Amino acid sequence: MTDVPTLSRRGFVLSLLAASGALVIGTRPILAAVVDAEPWTKDTPTGAHEFTPWLSIAPNGQVTVMVTTPDIGNGVVTQALSFVYEELGARWDDLRAQYASTSSDYALGGVYSKVNGSIGYFGGRSTSDERRITYMTAAANARERLRHAAAAQWNVPVGEVEARDGLIHHAASGRSTPFGALLAHAASVALPEDPKPKRREEWTHLGKDSPAKVQNPLVVSGAAVYGIDVKIPGKVYAALRQSPVMGGRLKSYDFESIRHMPGVRTVVEIKPTPANEKNILPSPFPMETTRIQAAVAVIADHYWQARTALDALPIEWEDGPGGKWENTQAMADAAMAVLDKPGGKVDFQAGDARADFAKGGKIIDASYLTPYCEHMPMEPLNGTALVTDKTVELWHPSQHTQMAFTLAVQQTGFAPENVTVHQTFVGGGFGRRAYGDDARMVVAVAQQYPGVPVHTIWSREESTRQGRYRAMVAGRLKARLGEDGLPTAFEAHGSGGPGMNFRGVSDTVFPQIVPNAHVETHILPDLHVLNGPYRGPGYNSGAFIMESFVDELANAAGVDPMEYRIRLYAKWQDKAWVKVLEELRDKSGWGQPLPKGQARGVAIGNWGMRGKPFAGTTCGAVAHAEVTQDGKLTIHRLDIAFDSGRILNRDAVRAELEGGAIFGLNMSLNEELNVEHGRIVEGNFHEYPMLRIGDIPQLHIHFGGLSDNERYYEIGEPPVGPVGPSVANAIFAVTGKRLRTTPFRKQDLRWGEKSASAG
Amino acid sequence: MSYSLKINGAAVDVDAAPDTPLLWVLRDHLGMTGTKFGCGVAQCGACTVHVDGVAARSCQFPLEAAVGVEITTIEGLAPNAQHPLQRVWVEANVPQCGYCQAGMLMAAAALLEANPNPTDDDINLHVDNICRCGTYPRVRAAIHKAAEMMRG
Ligand code: FES
Ligand code: FES
Repeated sequence: MTDVPTLSRRGFVLSLLAASGALVIGTRPILAAVVDAEPWTKDTPTGAHEFTPWLSIAPNGQVTVMVTTPDIGNGVVTQALSFVYEELGARWDDLRAQYASTSSDYALGGVYSKVNGSIGYFGGRSTSDERRITYMTAAANARERLRHAAAAQWNVPVGEVEARDGLIHHAASGRSTPFGALLAHAASVALPEDPKPKRREEWTHLGKDSPAKVQNPLVVSGAAVYGIDVKIPGKVYAALRQSPVMGGRLKSYDFESIRHMPGVRTVVEIKPTPANEKNILPSPFPMETTRIQAAVAVIADHYWQARTALDALPIEWEDGPGGKWENTQAMADAAMAVLDKPGGKVDFQAGDARADFAKGGKIIDASYLTPYCEHMPMEPLNGTALVTDKTVELWHPSQHTQMAFTLAVQQTGFAPENVTVHQTFVGGGFGRRAYGDDARMVVAVAQQYPGVPVHTIWSREESTRQGRYRAMVAGRLKARLGEDGLPTAFEAHGSGGPGMNFRGVSDTVFPQIVPNAHVETHILPDLHVLNGPYRGPGYNSGAFIMESFVDELANAAGVDPMEYRIRLYAKWQDKAWVKVLEELRDKSGWGQPLPKGQARGVAIGNWGMRGKPFAGTTCGAVAHAEVTQDGKLTIHRLDIAFDSGRILNRDAVRAELEGGAIFGLNMSLNEELNVEHGRIVEGNFHEYPMLRIGDIPQLHIHFGGLSDNERYYEIGEPPVGPVGPSVANAIFAVTGKRLRTTPFRKQDLRWGEKSASAG
Repeated sequence: MSYSLKINGAAVDVDAAPDTPLLWVLRDHLGMTGTKFGCGVAQCGACTVHVDGVAARSCQFPLEAAVGVEITTIEGLAPNAQHPLQRVWVEANVPQCGYCQAGMLMAAAALLEANPNPTDDDINLHVDNICRCGTYPRVRAAIHKAAEMMRG
């Protein structure tokens, strides 16, 4: 089944690329490394020699690189090729990427997943030291063996030969020979030890070139195979409905009433996973949120038939405990109420905040709330599985292939050797496809219809209402200001349902630089709506809460918010915070006069620092906003500056910052899920609006905040934190209204005379 | 029921219910999966195709209405995917996850067909597809660039 003839497809791809290669339309060199339209591990070119599990070379010189990280739009596949390109001396055009097989990983004792520990496959860390060094070492190893082989053949010292453009050259004699001709000999070369990758000063490609994503030609031609596009002979479709209240049960359904509908094969019931299940394999991510929810699925020959029949199927549910929540407000009230109670988990503690507060003086105390949000990846959740009596084959747009593999094993109880996962292209992740509950459900549905490949597709509404959401977070923050206007004591409480965390408040700089600080979180187990990772988990809410609060302090101290932050964060040993702020101040036009009704706001945060200096990515934003007196909000411009230490592919970094800033803007302006009688209300984009092209402010991405500290930290998450509060702080500067909840579109922003007349 | 359609210049026969959305006819009955499902309710534009040269959201376009018109999908936008928009898209690194991009390209191509020199407002109006990855600034720049190339 997996041996689809790939040569003709590859032939097509290559000719398409060759044609575009002739066209020079800009400054970017047209580079033509490839990935297959079906990117999973399938074929090894005939006669190819595997140098390491990461890299093989074929007699025609083609280099196949195994990539463990699904590319969810961040360019990780291209980055892996860049690492190899830097070391190997191959031609870029000879590089080809393929997703590493989870089966090989299992069979070879975790050869891929060990790199970067338990999150080995995860999409977020393509530039970590471990990953980079692994690829570069593998490539250097292959290069050295090729050099030794050529030197031996020519009987010249190894030091006289070099690898370049897919050839080994001997300058003195003018000889050269292609990699492909040296494979057999190179295979027998034993190196005394793994060569060290080049030092950064020696790099000629990394940090200098910005290759575009290698899959772009496949994307623009419509050929890239996403999960929803897999073609498998005999495939049938399932339309899925899960208990509208998470944790609810299926009471009954009436198959007879739809049995006659065209194409309908059957209705299957999917039973919830018991809470006490034991892990079969070690799980990269927690298993709890992957538990199957009670569901029914209609299976039909074609998707539209399945979908139409599902809509016509009478189903009765028993809501379970989550049904008690009449509306979102009741849940928010519960989260708020617990903030004043003792007994939270202490996340941070320094000095004696209580004693300092007792001194009185200027104390600022404010409460915030951020709602549940859904990732809304453009590709609705889906996947295809073929389950037999002892095997599973899964084709899936996973954000973490190893987790999908682990869950296919978990769901069926089959031997891991009998489970195969094919990683497809992924139509957006943002965390939604990391924990793998979708992969597990796909397997669970197919289990009920064995022997036939079943493609389960969530409707957009089902995808939205059955998310693993950005948690609702309630927060209460209190600070006392000293004589200089800077805080001397800080106390913060956060709360939310299981899976919520208070990062962005507890692990950011602020508590570390206030002499007396105490941060704790309270988890409410009966908030039944399931949470999961969403672009910058914890941080996306935490940064809004923290940096809105800092703005409140600046206002109370009577200091310009930019100036206040520079003074405040100057106390932190990692000077990049101040550098990022100064870059923003200088580049955004901060302080320059604006017409009435317009103002700038600033915010800063760090994704990934976990309380440590010189870690994570610090990111700041300045928003230039306009609010008319009758409350209409326009964002004219966003300036972004950041410090990830160093960067490798400038244009890829820019693209991620652009996308992340827009994601953060949408989250803050638009996003909110509501609950009624335990059910999620919003289903589709008319209820959960997205910014469109005409809503996007001018975006200015600045690189002057980079510290050159020795790390290449993540880029996708960082801007999601500061953009929202920078807008809220600009709105405050115009209207005098402090926004302590999101989304802003739901709030009354009228000011001046209009505000008065509105009462 | 059997219908005869004209897609990317070729005649094809499809056997499906008359109200089946063209989107699923293309994807599921004909295996042309470049056209994407995003919302099903004409909100996102991922399913955009051309019907007689005009951008249409195929998720809300019933099969029975697709008879007697010329349908163009991303697979048929240009030979070897060499439409100037496609070439600029690759070069300018427009796609992130890429899922919305076929729809973006089809909307943009229909716009340029009707209006070789679109303003920003024209783009706002006619390319109002959703991109969750936030490629909008690059989409806009790439449309202007391709328009410039096409004007010569
Ligand atoms: S799928 Fe047709 S507009 Fe979204
Ligand atoms: S590129 Fe991912 S949705 Fe547009």
